[in-house]
Amino acid sequence: MADIALKQVTKKYKQHTALNGVSIDIKDKEFFVIFGPAGAGKTTLLNVIAGIAVPEEGVVTMNGKVVNSIEPEDRNVAMVFENYALYPHMSVFDNIASPLRSPRYRQPESKIKEEVHRVAKILRIDWLLQRLPSELSNGQRQRVSLGRALVRSPEVFLMDEPLTHLDAKLRHQMRAEFKEMQANLNTTTIYVTHDYLEALSLGDRIAVLNEGRIEQIGTPDDIYYRPATEFVAEAFGEPEINLLTAGIVRKGGEWYLNLLGDSDHFTVPRQVKSVIEELQLETVRVGFRPKDIKYSFTDDSASMLRAAVYSFEPLGSKAILTAHAGGQLIRLIAPADLEARPDRPIYLKFNVDEAIFFDERTRRFIARAGEKGGRFVG
Amino acid sequence: MGNTNPFSKLLKNAALLLYALFALFPLFWMILISFKHDREMFNTVFLFHPTLENYKVLFSSNEYIGYFLNNVYVSVGAVLVSIVVGVPAAYALARFDFKGKENLAFTFLSFRFAPELLVILPLFLIYQKIGLYDTYFGLIWVYQLISLPFIIWILRGYFEDISPEVEHAGRVDGYSWWRVFLKIIMPLIKPGLVAAALLSFIFVWNNFTFALLLAGQGVITTTVASLKYISSDTVHYGQMAAAVTISALPEVILALLIQKHLVRGLSMGAVKG
Repeated sequence: MADIALKQVTKKYKQHTALNGVSIDIKDKEFFVIFGPAGAGKTTLLNVIAGIAVPEEGVVTMNGKVVNSIEPEDRNVAMVFENYALYPHMSVFDNIASPLRSPRYRQPESKIKEEVHRVAKILRIDWLLQRLPSELSNGQRQRVSLGRALVRSPEVFLMDEPLTHLDAKLRHQMRAEFKEMQANLNTTTIYVTHDYLEALSLGDRIAVLNEGRIEQIGTPDDIYYRPATEFVAEAFGEPEINLLTAGIVRKGGEWYLNLLGDSDHFTVPRQVKSVIEELQLETVRVGFRPKDIKYSFTDDSASMLRAAVYSFEPLGSKAILTAHAGGQLIRLIAPADLEARPDRPIYLKFNVDEAIFFDERTRRFIARAGEKGGRFVG
Repeated sequence: MGNTNPFSKLLKNAALLLYALFALFPLFWMILISFKHDREMFNTVFLFHPTLENYKVLFSSNEYIGYFLNNVYVSVGAVLVSIVVGVPAAYALARFDFKGKENLAFTFLSFRFAPELLVILPLFLIYQKIGLYDTYFGLIWVYQLISLPFIIWILRGYFEDISPEVEHAGRVDGYSWWRVFLKIIMPLIKPGLVAAALLSFIFVWNNFTFALLLAGQGVITTTVASLKYISSDTVHYGQMAAAVTISALPEVILALLIQKHLVRGLSMGAVKG
């Protein structure tokens, strides 16, 4: 149980900067997700908190105490490694028991037995306790490595992509279990993932990391509905958000967006207008989630944009339809049984009220019209 | 593979047998000679009156036992020093990134391909000057040229096979670095360590050049001692063979004892996971 804070932490590996001025404040008992693409510095961040990597700059504090110079074995953190890092020469039982036998966290042998069996039962590996790690499947190894962490009662759990190597079904199941477990454990958890669904479903808060920098820290709603940068908007959501550059066209009292050559129908929402006015922008970037674009094969109303089907990928319950308009590809979601041959004309209707607006120069969030996602921040 | 045809199996075994005969014959011959009288040495082949005379002469004085012990001290000492130095060196080469790492590693390896005679003359002069000539320590030191590269290069592969995360996991589990090394790393490199130590022991034990030229009357090893049976008028082949047979014994016994480790130990570190 601990508050953990990083202040302006920078970690370099030779020329490569893995973390660049990262500041994070993690509250006690929070389930904090660190999300980012491969090579963003997620694992380095965990290593810095665990004490495995020592940052060149900045401080790491636990419960307000600076822990930069404290060795990993004295920090009382439990970590699940992405490649499991099981001890190959020890049985599953001994692997899980290992922290409880260490000089730092020693328990009596009877207590160890009890604890290991308890944890093994939760993870459903109690029938594997006598095996060696080499005799396990990847999913089982991952659970052993989880067990080695869960057997302890540390200040904080650090989990590095603990579900990545499980197959889709087990992953889903474990995700649900994690949520349940977190509620019971009552311990701060820092969870690294590159899967946006995991991040959104598990996290109390999410930090989005890109190239060693924090892009945004916020609740799942913040991240999804008010992404701080285009990078965040693109990272969350499948298919990816559609980002279009649009000029602002002023006609009388009304402002219109010039979207793909059509400047007559997309009114700038009132809340957005004031922000744009304040920033004196001439062009903006507008993001539409695929679900916020409707389509039709007949030209029903004047506000629809003409496009052509570019590709159609059925995915079982739904399909991703990519349309081609004004030199841009636009992704949207369609039913899987749709007849959409390439080059068929299609008419798109953009829902501007759900659109997310970004500054064209800085690619940072300006505003959105809808209120979802809590408070309204400029 | 997996050819179960009885004929090809037979052929395979025959070939192996043939090779075994070819490889073991010198050893067999040596043992045979060691049981012959000097007078029967040249006029009998396989049929002779076996005698223990040679062995009796060998052990009639404490001389030979002294040579044997010398060899034990020097070889065991050399291997121990190599382990103490080589294990950390191999670990450093495997784990840390430092300038000139590969060059350093290659330098260690190059000890193995430089002919011993190349360095012996300067070493001889240096040893004379600083008083290492004809001492146990002098030989142990120079033997590092033989044993150290083995240990470093075999163990480096082993250390590289252990992912750093395993060490990190140990640290996070509450073990100090030193304990992680002893409890987790050492058991994992043990097969390699045993194999490398044994191999370097054999090479050091059999070394002739250094022992001959860098030691005088004080530290005579069995390999050098076998020359003693060549005198100006005659060569005592029987005693020489007995001496060499005895001096080969420790290697044979050791190799048999750790055969299991040997094959596994040499092949495992080489294959990257």
